[in-house]
Amino acid sequence: MDLQTFNQRILPVQGRLFRLAQMFLRNREEAEDAIQDVLLRLWTNRQQLETYQSIDALAVQMTKNLCLDRLKSHRNQKTEGGTDISEVHAKEQSPYALLESSDSSRLIHQLIGGLPEQHKLVLHLRDVEEYSFEEIEEVTGLTNANIRVILSRARQKLRESYLKASNYENEH
Amino acid sequence: MKMSIEKLLEKYYEGETSTEEEKELKRFFREENVPKDLESHAAQFGYFAAAREEYPSLTFTGALAARLDPPQQGPVRRFTSWIVQIAAGLALLLVGFAGGYVLQKGSDRSGDRVAGSADEVPRHAIKNALAFEKMASTSASERIQAVNQSYELTNVDTETTQLLINTLNFDPNINVRLAACQALVHFENEPQVNEALIHSLSIQTDPNIQILLIEALVAIREKRASEQFQQLARNGKNMEVVRLRAEQGIGELSNTHVQSL
Repeated sequence: MDLQTFNQRILPVQGRLFRLAQMFLRNREEAEDAIQDVLLRLWTNRQQLETYQSIDALAVQMTKNLCLDRLKSHRNQKTEGGTDISEVHAKEQSPYALLESSDSSRLIHQLIGGLPEQHKLVLHLRDVEEYSFEEIEEVTGLTNANIRVILSRARQKLRESYLKASNYENEH
Repeated sequence: MKMSIEKLLEKYYEGETSTEEEKELKRFFREENVPKDLESHAAQFGYFAAAREEYPSLTFTGALAARLDPPQQGPVRRFTSWIVQIAAGLALLLVGFAGGYVLQKGSDRSGDRVAGSADEVPRHAIKNALAFEKMASTSASERIQAVNQSYELTNVDTETTQLLINTLNFDPNINVRLAACQALVHFENEPQVNEALIHSLSIQTDPNIQILLIEALVAIREKRASEQFQQLARNGKNMEVVRLRAEQGIGELSNTHVQSL
């Protein structure tokens, strides 16, 4: 695979990978850094890429794994730094922080961040990237039924927490 | 319209909507006047639509392209490196074979030259080593080697014999002189050689060379030497052995004279 084919096949995906990374890492620079990592890895292993059925799915998987790894190491660093995970977590979701985000999109963004990883991933792939269930199956390795359940739960959870947060907002 | 949207929303939260229906929901919440009771749903669909428009910054794509291009060399180089290694190995082998072939051809040709044309190489070497003015800078073994090279010559010229005669008479090293003497005997057919050997007898003081010369002259049956032999035999300065050998030589020479008569 030469640079041209690589550019044709992989680079159009980079927007999608970027959004996924941004959803996980919630930071533009870190997301860019992560997908650069992914793309360079794909590029160095491009000889084997031909053997994969769907390079898209592979790239998405790689991005997801890399982001989760990074989040994990971030959390570890924070724990080592003496800050409690739950504290950080709580801070992220504290109503005061949510109150500060006047923009409802940002609020949603933060709320999605509070969902479990798998819910996040499925919700993101479906509602933002508009993946079909088959494509989500390919990326996550989950069954169709499983995906539907997770998706439904994620959507309801998002709605609930949004209502809660906006109510809180309205009340104050 | 509103009804269908509500139904869609219901399906949506059950995770049962198709992508088309979800697109319709997004479109609805973006474009239409959203009724008050549905407003609370607008935020997430707005977010989904907005999130979809996010792209990595231009500086990032630029930097990535820049990183992809040079690394292109890295893996490619790695990929070709073993090919290059094999190629280099083959090239070295070829160079080795070619070198060997050329060298062999060269040595063949130089062999041809010795057999074919005159003995340019040894002659040149002899002249170089034995030239009188170079005597100080050459070692005795080098000169002996040069003298011995004269055996390789199939036909000698006067220049070479003269050089050998000079060496016989004037070389400071006895061994070189002995070698020159033997070489000269080898060229007994050359006109000057016999006279030079006779003449040399009167010059040489070393018994080894004197005896060698006497034997050489006897061997080539040079009768003109007998006078020189008598002088040697009479000269008290010479060693006993030399005088005896000289007398013996006289006898041998006259014997052959008688025999030849």
